[in-house]
Amino acid sequence: MVEVQSEIQFQSPKERGPVAMQLKDVAVSFHGRTAVRDCTFDVTKNKVTSLIGPSGSGKTTLLRALNRLHDLTPGAKVSGTIMLEGTDIYRGDLTVTELRTRVGMVFQRPNPFPTMSIYDNVVSGLRFNGIKKKSLLDESAETSLRSAALWDSVSSRLKVAASNLSGGEQQRLCIARALALDPEVLLMDEPTSALDPIATLHIEELMKTLTKRVTVVIVTHNMQQAARISDDCAFLLMGDDRAGELIEFDTTEKIFNNPVDSRTLDYTLGRFG
Amino acid sequence: MSDLIELEEPGDSGHAMRDEIRRTSDRFRGRRVAISRAMVALSCAALAIAAVPLILLMYQLFKQGVGQIDWKFFTTVPTTPTLIAPNATGGISNAIVGTIALTLYASIMAIPLGVLVGVYLAETQSKLATTLRVISQTMAGAPSILMGLFAFSLIVHDLDVGFSAIAGAFALAVLMMPVIIISTEIAVRNVPNTLREAGLALGAKSHKVSLKVVLPSALTGIVTGVILAVSRAIGETAPVLLVIAGGFTNTWKPLSPVSAMPLAIYENAKSEWPSQRAQVWGIALVLVLFVFILSLSARIWASRKQQVRN
Repeated sequence: MVEVQSEIQFQSPKERGPVAMQLKDVAVSFHGRTAVRDCTFDVTKNKVTSLIGPSGSGKTTLLRALNRLHDLTPGAKVSGTIMLEGTDIYRGDLTVTELRTRVGMVFQRPNPFPTMSIYDNVVSGLRFNGIKKKSLLDESAETSLRSAALWDSVSSRLKVAASNLSGGEQQRLCIARALALDPEVLLMDEPTSALDPIATLHIEELMKTLTKRVTVVIVTHNMQQAARISDDCAFLLMGDDRAGELIEFDTTEKIFNNPVDSRTLDYTLGRFG
Repeated sequence: MSDLIELEEPGDSGHAMRDEIRRTSDRFRGRRVAISRAMVALSCAALAIAAVPLILLMYQLFKQGVGQIDWKFFTTVPTTPTLIAPNATGGISNAIVGTIALTLYASIMAIPLGVLVGVYLAETQSKLATTLRVISQTMAGAPSILMGLFAFSLIVHDLDVGFSAIAGAFALAVLMMPVIIISTEIAVRNVPNTLREAGLALGAKSHKVSLKVVLPSALTGIVTGVILAVSRAIGETAPVLLVIAGGFTNTWKPLSPVSAMPLAIYENAKSEWPSQRAQVWGIALVLVLFVFILSLSARIWASRKQQVRN
């Protein structure tokens, strides 16, 4: 472990603050075909980092490498190094289940467990990990639902099936479910793309407050959203061989106002994509 | 502003194309309507042809069966008619008890095992899974007398258990298993992958995701398959014919010989007494009602479950 750490020296500008996750030359391939490559950047703690780029640029593929969700896909291979608080998540002594409790995820479409109640959904992660103490589950359910700005509207009907909630509420329930494990990092894969503008606004407002507790990495198609909510921004683009690659990583302000690469400017101005 | 592409005004050519599309589609509309009507007529005719035998069967069943059924039919065991009392057939309580016992024991054997194997097949990719899948698909198409022969040679003969309810239940369980396995696998495969991912992303081990997330979500599909298997088992004659020996008492004991409704139909149909032959329709009616009630309650349960979710 120690050797691995000393080998890799990531550069992190001091003004960005402490680092939650570090990516070095990360590439993901399926059956030998590269889907995304050359991803090297730092995810700053308690900030929102957005991954932007057109369809097929590998944003979601990269995001799913961060909690090892590719592990179950036959033929998937992740190369390079991804560090969580100094531990290599693929080669370190972190088990995959432990990693996933520390790096939570919210998906593109709200996916609450349909057979479970609102309460059971929120505490499901805790139960999966062997926590049975009622008082702890109750406390966690309330805290998580409050953090997800859902407590006031559901506190009186916690035993109701989660599928009775609206799409926006379901997505906030999924956020609460991920928060219940008190993760350090929250991955969000286009969390508002299936929601209406009002629900989207709620989730965006929520994200700003969430950074007090967690580091957020969000994939988004919506450039205004990236500009509104993220502190740092990674721009990916599909290369000539149809593999996505990191074009530029910087503060969101820099990416949108004064990017180094002309392709970044073209994309953020809506000239392609 | 200069970035905006100027939209061209639709010229004459645009409208000409639209007119041609409209004209052509008008011409074809008449033919489409005619073909559509012919198809509807054909479908109705096919439906009528298919429904006729079914309706005749139900008509015959009720017409001949209802008269056979009274309270004693359910509560007494069969008796052999004599020349003095040619209509003294007795009831079929032994066959009803036997059928319930056989189905119950068979379900206890087949349902847990079948569901677990089905989940395993759906959730893993291995040589073993492929082999099991091929075996269960083959078994689902195997003639049911085969299960009876198998139960006879294994349970009755080799293990020396003798003619018994447990041997019949074993034969029925072997018959039910492939149906349960296949329908469970389909139901589990139909559970959206996003739910599995949601479970895994919460740090759950994959067997926990299977049991706590996937299995409950697939439950309505699994139950439908189970009911289908149970309904089939209830009505099967061949597998139990060789192994239960048709007892004449009401018994729940797994090791005693028992009767069953399909077997009673088979035996009575061969009888030299017209009264016993007539009784066949009564037994058949009770059997059909059994299966009907079973599948109806499963449907109601499944639709309730669905409503709660939506």
